Amino acid sequence: MKPWQMSFSIIILTALLLSSAVFSKGYVGIFVFSLIINGTMAVSYDIPGRSLGLISLGHAVFFGLGAYCFGISISKGLSFFPAVILSVILSFVGALLVTLLMAGLKHGYYSLATLGILIIFQKLFETLESITGGSAGLYIPETISKLHCNLLAAFLLLATAACHVLFSRSRWGLYSKETEASEEAAEAIGIPTRTVKILCLMTAAIPACMAGVLHLARNSHVSPVSGFSLTLSITALLASRVVPLRGILGPLIGALLITAAEEVIWTKFEGFNQAWFGLILLGAALYQGINFKRRKTISAAAENPLSR
Amino acid sequence: MIQVLISGLFLGGVYSLLAVGLSLAFGIMGVLNLAHGSMAVLAAILYKKTLVLYPFSPWTFCVLATPIFLGFGFLLHLIIVAPFRHLSLSAGVVASLIASLGVALILEDLFVWWQGWEPISTYITFPTFNLMGLKIPGLRAILLGMAAVTIGLSTLFLKKTDPGRSMRALAQDKEAASLYGINPVFTSMGALGLATILAGVAGIFYSSLYPLGPREGLDLTLKALFIVVAGGMGNLRGPAVAGLALGFIESFAGVLFTYTSTDTVVYSLLVVYLVLKRGGRQQ
Repeated sequence: MKPWQMSFSIIILTALLLSSAVFSKGYVGIFVFSLIINGTMAVSYDIPGRSLGLISLGHAVFFGLGAYCFGISISKGLSFFPAVILSVILSFVGALLVTLLMAGLKHGYYSLATLGILIIFQKLFETLESITGGSAGLYIPETISKLHCNLLAAFLLLATAACHVLFSRSRWGLYSKETEASEEAAEAIGIPTRTVKILCLMTAAIPACMAGVLHLARNSHVSPVSGFSLTLSITALLASRVVPLRGILGPLIGALLITAAEEVIWTKFEGFNQAWFGLILLGAALYQGINFKRRKTISAAAENPLSR
Repeated sequence: MIQVLISGLFLGGVYSLLAVGLSLAFGIMGVLNLAHGSMAVLAAILYKKTLVLYPFSPWTFCVLATPIFLGFGFLLHLIIVAPFRHLSLSAGVVASLIASLGVALILEDLFVWWQGWEPISTYITFPTFNLMGLKIPGLRAILLGMAAVTIGLSTLFLKKTDPGRSMRALAQDKEAASLYGINPVFTSMGALGLATILAGVAGIFYSSLYPLGPREGLDLTLKALFIVVAGGMGNLRGPAVAGLALGFIESFAGVLFTYTSTDTVVYSLLVVYLVLKRGGRQQ
């Protein structure tokens, strides 16, 4: 990441931290909170997305796990902090199991399996009505103030961004890039590719679980559809991809753009919000294809001046 | 028990049809088309709308709608395959997966806008006959036969005709096929057209047997993908057999568990199978 990108990222993070303290109530408070949660999801998604090139369609699984673990702990009579600690431990175990299952898969198979996992959790939590409240979901009382929720979310985003930077600069980050380039070659030079993948995926999973905890703490309700939401997974995917900048700046600006677009879509295009997401998704994929072709043409022309 | 088996056989026949189309698209173009199920839903809606004006039987409508679905296949090719043909295999699979997910999401909202939330059902009354004490619904038996004929015709098309041979050649080696004068763009367009026709036929048959929700496209695609992964990517016989197996599993799970649990069982099997087979390593 270039110095100007790092400076710009720090400015955005500071602005979000200050906004979370100033605007905690009303519409602006909800918008700032959504922005921070989307930012956390996008930055955490970007860790395996960029370094391992894995496209997950089920990142919301971790979000839902965190929210439900917290919700069940609160409904069993625990207070906020013990519930958070217990939900972190439970989500960690759950995320580890999911990650261990997924770590062996590649490319399209990984995307497919993550989508399958998301639907399994959605259906499973609908079925386990006595614990999860079924399709109506869980309602919990307010455990902390909205201001504290916003501040905790902002600190979570800061911690996630720090994890992203530290991971990409550590030897594990370099290992993961090598694994993405060629898994066989990486294994041949002694890189433990499976451990790299698990570490990378877990670094992404934990902030998503925590985002789920804070989402429930602020909104007091989670259902299988809102917790294990395909839209949320796509939001994270889009936010991390829509701005072609490396490091944390791309996902941060992406989250800003997507959250703003989300607000417009939900208010102006009722009934077509999923279609608009589809359109953005399609646009992002087509841009990737067109941009690749343009770069290939330019590099071919540079290699062979006579072809001009 | 035997009645559940028969029910599973009918459901499996429709799933096989759906999965064969998806397998064809993956085998020839390396495309995991998540909009495949949406094409089935589109066909069901078109059939339902047509039924109001003309009372066609499902099989007559399948024949009449073939050119329309071929056209949809060509259009889909322009959106989810053509822009990514310069990418590497893995990048192409992911890009087409994202693009086709975008198409599926757009179509789902359009379907709800077009025909509302109510499930699409195009059931027509047909006599039931007795076979050694077993009640066999006539419509289901005919549709199962039609599904088998459609899969058989697709296999013959791929094996015995020039366009079919071109598609198989393209699946084996794109560069070598091009050297022999096969146009990869037109051939893959034809393959996706054929896959979309199969999805359309599956959608029409499915809505004649069971109610189909306007947002069930992605669910159908995932089940078809499960069948394709289980039966083997790129061949037609494997998915046809795996489709029947899924029909049986779903029918038995439907008797043993609730509706939502049935889906949990099916998707859990998908993930377990993917993990055990380590599909990605063989790509």
